[in-house]
Amino acid sequence: MISESALAEAFWENGRSDDCPVIDMHGHMGPWRGIYFPRASAEAMIHTMDQCGVRMLVFCHHAALFCPEIGNAANVEAVRKFPDRLRAYLAINPHYPDSVAADLAGFDDNRDVFVGLKILASYHQVCWDDPRYEPAWKFADERGLMVLGHTWSGSRYDGQEMVRRMAGRWPNVRLLLGHSLHGAWDAAAAIAQEFPNVYLELTAVLDDRGPLEKFVAAGLSEKLLFGTDLPWFDPHHGIGAVLSAEIADEDRHNILHRNAERLLGEAGVGV
Amino acid sequence: MRFFDCNCCIGLPANPPSPAAGASPGVSAGELLAAMDRAGIDRALPWHVAQHDQDPLTGNDLLAEAIAAQERLVGVWSLLPPQTGELGDVGEWFQRAASAGVRACRAFPEASRYLLRAEVFEEVFEAMTAARWPLLLSLARGVTWDQVYDLLGEFPELTVILCDHGSWGADRYFRPLLQRRPNVYVEIGGYTLDGGIEDFVARYGPGRMLFGSNFPACYHGGMMLALAHAEISDADKQAIAAGNLERLLGEVKL
Repeated sequence: MISESALAEAFWENGRSDDCPVIDMHGHMGPWRGIYFPRASAEAMIHTMDQCGVRMLVFCHHAALFCPEIGNAANVEAVRKFPDRLRAYLAINPHYPDSVAADLAGFDDNRDVFVGLKILASYHQVCWDDPRYEPAWKFADERGLMVLGHTWSGSRYDGQEMVRRMAGRWPNVRLLLGHSLHGAWDAAAAIAQEFPNVYLELTAVLDDRGPLEKFVAAGLSEKLLFGTDLPWFDPHHGIGAVLSAEIADEDRHNILHRNAERLLGEAGVGV
Repeated sequence: MRFFDCNCCIGLPANPPSPAAGASPGVSAGELLAAMDRAGIDRALPWHVAQHDQDPLTGNDLLAEAIAAQERLVGVWSLLPPQTGELGDVGEWFQRAASAGVRACRAFPEASRYLLRAEVFEEVFEAMTAARWPLLLSLARGVTWDQVYDLLGEFPELTVILCDHGSWGADRYFRPLLQRRPNVYVEIGGYTLDGGIEDFVARYGPGRMLFGSNFPACYHGGMMLALAHAEISDADKQAIAAGNLERLLGEVKL
């Protein structure tokens, strides 16, 4: 039941909705040091996506972010195995500039795999405006690519001050604020209102009751993107939160698929 | 499907966790019931935030007043060390709790500055063990995993419900306890781990997991939808959603 929404009724009855496919714009893949994941393989994640009505996942493999020996090859392998269900963000680890240069040089040869870049500044402990990120920003700006960046309130690496500065400096980048500057909800809303190239991604935001209503009330329904960090979080949990929020079903459609369809369409991916 | 929420609270917090979030920082018992009606939740086991933010005894009184005549709400009271005399006679304190519709306890050792160990709570926890009163411990409110392990080492038969263990899957912390302590239960309000419910039930059965929402900090519907469509049997879902808590509270001796 969850709420009075017709969409909630459909998900409650069937676990999915044919009228409302879900596109998950923030995933990972594979094992990671901090958490036991029962479903971390590509196959297991596809199983979850089927279970929850997730049509497509855009992800960046943990190994691409944390294990330079493996790097982005893990992304390529998974997407080529499930080309109808997966796309990837090219991981940028600023501590390995030669690898970044090589990966960017090969980006256009892998457009069937990559739709943008992923930066994880808080974990790599390198600020967004550090010169080591410059080639990636420049590359994405020239091509109008999506860049999904982990963002968190108060972080000197990827907090609100850094986001505002880089959103203005690279206006052609579709800048997806992973976790919507978690905790700095007012700042996230203000930045998304101010910069047409900024979108708010909702992984971990949906754990808290209230921010989603705030973003929608701020007129940002068409700039919100569903995400789960899969295999971290069950998509049904996030979907259930969207269905619980006191917003309209039209907003829920925007969040769960329409906004992502538009962005992926601009990247040449039909969903 | 019948839902019995073991992890929610009422009352206004002293420091709302996110004043810019747009949501009400707290709810009354009436507002909780209205939200439960909207979501489709039958019963709940609320505590009062003043038990943590102000003091346990004031919060206990506010909780008792709020749930009086509310048949769908079963209360939780917060403990203090009996040595200071604030609880009065321990046996009488539990009788007053039972008369107020209370069937479980919480402990906030960090906020109320005490130790969660036998030197302090031997009389209380032995009484709770004998009478099957559950103790709810929130990992987000000043209880550490080391404390939980030490406590269950001293009181291995105590019924403990582990709450608010965070959205990062905490299986590596709680699974050893499930294997060694027969009366440990895991509340799933924050257990958003993909495939976690299925993996847990496959290893431990459905009897050790309890539905919780952490409302009003979190939405009701997130874990409701995850549980409703988990790949486990309908009977297992119902046990987790309500049956296990009904059984636990039904075993409480008054």
